[in-house]
Amino acid sequence: MNFTILSARDLRLSYGPTRALDGVSLDVQVGDSVAVMGASGSGKTSLLHALAGILLPDSGAVRLTAPDGPLEITALSDRERTRLRRERFGFVFQQGLLIPELTAIENVAIALMLNGVDRGAANQAAAGWLAALGLAGLEDRRIGQLSGGQAQRVAIARAQVTGASVVFADEPTGALDSQTSAEVMSALLDMTVARGNTLVLVTHDAGVAARCSRIVDVRDGRIVGERVGA
Amino acid sequence: MTTIRLWWLLARSDRRSAAVLWLPVAAYAVVTTLLLLVIGGSRVFFSWNDDMAFGYQLLALIALTLLVVPLGTLGASAARLSARRRDERLSTLRLLGATAGAVAAVTVIESSALALLGAAVGALGAALLAPLIGLIPFRGEAIGAWALVPAPETALVVAGVVALAVTSAVVSLRRLVISPLGVRTRQNAPAQRWWIVVVGVIVLAGALVAMNLLGAAGSAGGPITFLVVIVGGFAATLGVLGLIAPAILRLMATRQARIATKPERLLAARMILESPKAAWSQVSGVAMTSFMSVVAGAGVALMGMAASSDLSASDAHLVADIRTGILITVIGSFLMVACSVGVNQAAGIADRRELYSSLHQLGMDTSTMDAARRRAVLSPLRVTTIGSALCAAVFIFPLVGLSVIVSPLTLVMVAGVLAAGFALVWLGLLATRAQLARAARA
Ligand SMILES: Nc1ncnc2c1ncn2[C@@H]1O[C@H](COP(=O)(O)OP(=O)(O)OP(=O)(O)O)[C@@H](O)[C@H]1O
Ligand SMILES: [Mg+2]
Repeated sequence: MNFTILSARDLRLSYGPTRALDGVSLDVQVGDSVAVMGASGSGKTSLLHALAGILLPDSGAVRLTAPDGPLEITALSDRERTRLRRERFGFVFQQGLLIPELTAIENVAIALMLNGVDRGAANQAAAGWLAALGLAGLEDRRIGQLSGGQAQRVAIARAQVTGASVVFADEPTGALDSQTSAEVMSALLDMTVARGNTLVLVTHDAGVAARCSRIVDVRDGRIVGERVGA
Repeated sequence: MTTIRLWWLLARSDRRSAAVLWLPVAAYAVVTTLLLLVIGGSRVFFSWNDDMAFGYQLLALIALTLLVVPLGTLGASAARLSARRRDERLSTLRLLGATAGAVAAVTVIESSALALLGAAVGALGAALLAPLIGLIPFRGEAIGAWALVPAPETALVVAGVVALAVTSAVVSLRRLVISPLGVRTRQNAPAQRWWIVVVGVIVLAGALVAMNLLGAAGSAGGPITFLVVIVGGFAATLGVLGLIAPAILRLMATRQARIATKPERLLAARMILESPKAAWSQVSGVAMTSFMSVVAGAGVALMGMAASSDLSASDAHLVADIRTGILITVIGSFLMVACSVGVNQAAGIADRRELYSSLHQLGMDTSTMDAARRRAVLSPLRVTTIGSALCAAVFIFPLVGLSVIVSPLTLVMVAGVLAAGFALVWLGLLATRAQLARAARA
C-alpha cells in the first residue's frame, strides 16, 4: 500500500535576514528513502527539523498520515510535538548524541521506557535490535567505549526500537570513514525501509545519497531539483 | 601576548561564554560575602576578655569550622565550574600552536581575573548586608558595627579567595591532558576499593568506643567533655562518611540502575554512578548540618530541662546565645549547600547543552530531564542526612541518654532543620530549571 506519509507545503523560515527555508514543498511516500543534499548552509537541517516538528516554520504546513488519521504537525503545541516525536519518529544525528552515562542497551531501551514500556520488555526488545545490528556482546559497554560506527548503530537501534514510522537522520555518516559509512548506511536502510518504514536523511556524501530511492537537491532554502536514486 | 589575544577571541566567540564567565563570578561573590559575614559575626567574641569569653570563643570556633567545610565545597564548585569549557578553549589554543606554558599562564590569568571580580562584588555585598547581621544579639546586645569587617581584613579575604581559585584551577589543569585534539581526563574511573569501607567502619566503631569511655570518665559529662565528644565524633563522622558514603551511593545506584522502570530513575542512577564521589561532595555540607542538628537538638532539650531551675543572668544569656549560634550556623551551611547545588547544576547544564537538546528532539519532555537530575541530587542528600543524623545520635547517646535524643524538642528541631535543608537544596534545583528548559529547546 503506497500513500503519502509526510507532506510539507510552502515552508518558510527566516533567521533575521537569512532565509533558511524559502517556500519548500515536499511529499514523502511511505517506504521512501529520501536523501536531502546541498551545500553547507543551504537549509537541509532546517528542512529536516521542520518536517519532524522540532521547529515550527514561520509559515506553511506539515501533515503526517498517522494510523488514526491525518495530523497537522505545524498546528500542534510544543508538548504535543514532543510526544509525537517520541512515539512516531526516530532520530539519528551526526554524532550519535547518545546518553554517555548509559550503557548501549540502556540507550536503546530508554526510548521504549519513555513510551511507558516496562523495563523487562524494553531490555528484551533493545537486545534484539542490537543483535540484529551486529552489536551482540556490546550491550553493557558505555558509549565512550564504542567506536564511531558502533555508536551510530546503537543510535539506529534507538531510532527504530519504538517502531517509529519515519526515521530522520542528519548526516549520520558525517563523522565516519567511507568503509564504516557504507556499513552504517546498509544498517540504516535494512532497519527502516526494508521493514516498510520511511527514511529522510541529510547527507553530503554522494555515495550515501545514491543508495536512497530519491535524492532532493536544496539550494538557498529551496528545492532546486530531484533525482531518482537506487 | 598572541596567545592571550587568541584566548580572548575564543572566549568571546564561545556561545556559552556568558554563562561560563558569569556563573563563577557570581559563585565567588557568594563565597566571599558569606565568608566575610561569618568572620564579621564572630569578631565580637574575640573582642571580649572576661571569664565567659573563652567559652564563647570555643563555641565560635566550632561554628566557624562547621561553616568552613560547606564554604570550601562551594568554592571548589566555583573553581570547577568553567574548567571544562576553559579546557576546550585551551585545546584549541594548543591546536593553534600555543605551548603548554602559555596554556598554564592563560589558566592563571583567567581564573584569577574571574575570582577577583567575584570577590570584589562579594565584599561589596558583605558591606551592604553587615548592618542586618549587626542586629543579631549576643549576651543581650546587638553585634552592631562588629559585623562589618574593616577594609584591610576584607582585602586579605579577597586575596585569599583569589589564591584558592588559582590554586584549584592549576590543580585541575594538572589532572587533564590538553592536547591539540581535545581534552581528556588523566585519571581513569577509580576502582571500587572495598577495604576503604572496612577501614571506615573500624574507625567509626573505635571512635564510638573512645567516646563512650570519655563520656563515662567525664562523669555525666562536664561541658569540656561534651565539646570534646562532639568535635571528635564530628570529625570521625565526617571523615568516615567521606570514605563510605560514596561507596554506599554506588551500591544503591547500581541496584537502582538495574531495576529502574522509569526513564528518570534510570538516568538519575547512572548520573550518580558516573561519579559517586561528586554526588556525595555536592551534598556533604548537609551531612554536617544534619549531624549538628541532632547534637544541637539534644543540647537545647537539655538546656530546657536546666532552665526550669533558676539561672543567673549570664547563664540565661549563654543558653539564648547558643540557640542563636546554632540557628545561624544551620542557616549559613544550608545557604552554602543550596548555592553549591545551584552552581554545580548550572555548570552541568552548560556542559551538556547538546545532549539535552538532542534528548528534547528525540521527544523527552524537559520534566523528565528535570526529574532525573533532581533525583540525582536528592537521593544522595537523603542518604547523607539520615546517615549522619544516625551517627550523631549514636555518638551523643552515652552522654545524654535515649530520653533526650527522642524527646519531642530534639525530634522537632531535627525534623525542622532537615526539612529546611531539603527545601533549600530544592530551591537550588528550581533556580536552574529555566536554564535546563532553554538548553533543551536550543
Ligand atoms: N538558530 C539559528 N540562528 C540563526 N541562523 C540560523 C540558525 N539555524 C540555522 N541558521 C541559518 O539558516 C541557514 C540554514 O541552516 P541549516 O542548518 O538548515 O543549513 P544546512 O544545510 O543544514 O547546513 P550544513 O550542511 O552546514 O549543516 C544557514 O544560513 C544558517 O546560518
Ligand atoms: Mg545541517
